[in-house]
Amino acid sequence: MQNDFESVEVLGGGEDEVSLLEILDHVLNSGVVIHGSLVISLAGVDLVYLGLNVVLTSVETALSNLQIEEKRRQK
Amino acid sequence: MSRILAYCGFQHAPELSLPAAGVSAAPVQLASHGELGLLWSEVEWPFDPERMQKSAVEFHGVVHHVFRQRAVIPFRLLSVFDDRPAFTTFVAQNQERFLEDLERLRRFVQMECVIYPAPSRSQVDRSSGKAYLEQKAAALRSSQGVVQAVRDAAAYLCGEVRVREAKNGTRIFVLVERGRENDFRQAVSAVAIPEHLSRRMSGPWPAAEFLSEQVKMPESAGAK
Repeated sequence: MQNDFESVEVLGGGEDEVSLLEILDHVLNSGVVIHGSLVISLAGVDLVYLGLNVVLTSVETALSNLQIEEKRRQK
Repeated sequence: MSRILAYCGFQHAPELSLPAAGVSAAPVQLASHGELGLLWSEVEWPFDPERMQKSAVEFHGVVHHVFRQRAVIPFRLLSVFDDRPAFTTFVAQNQERFLEDLERLRRFVQMECVIYPAPSRSQVDRSSGKAYLEQKAAALRSSQGVVQAVRDAAAYLCGEVRVREAKNGTRIFVLVERGRENDFRQAVSAVAIPEHLSRRMSGPWPAAEFLSEQVKMPESAGAK
């Protein structure tokens, strides 16, 4: 079981680059969204250096979640 | 300026090992509300962009420290609260929903399989619009077939499956009983993948895709 969890540790190089991207994707895109946090991530242009795909995914998710939130408010 | 950074929620028990330090070496603290435990740190906000990747890995480390032991509900990295009272209010307001989800997901982890176009094989036919569309349609059908095959292969060991189309492929999220991760890998590895597609598996992750909507986007006061 321990090895399963170690497989996502970031050790640098090769395949582990994918692991880092996966970690970034999960910590930015998966889990509880506190209202308002997405505005910060959208405005935070400094995040660009994280990698274009990660940021684009975040923005996509952000826009989709903001739309859901907007619909919820209109009900 | 400091803020309260929330890491994850879980069913608290005294025997659990908790991490000492989190993002930027900030002490990790436990907020308990009934059976619900949440980990948080007081951090400087906004994060230093120079160490954003490091912060992400540190955040992941805190969440996975608990996740190795039991189910967690992860927060997203950029979720922060103004101050402790705002965080405490949030915990009180959402305790019941969090505990319901944690109980429902108690025995499970999330495994993931991504089906995406193989980089070296995907030569786009641009000879005409029709040829291009036909090629796209064929690729989509083929991808959908593989996605169904993955679902079928994992069906005997999973509680639930979610499929989401992303720009870079189709993501299949599977709720697998904790301890059966290798069964999932073996089952999915046995699925034949056409030459023009690739597959990538990852996990175990916290079952974030399977959270209820009220937990994913809860009511919050004083959050940033």
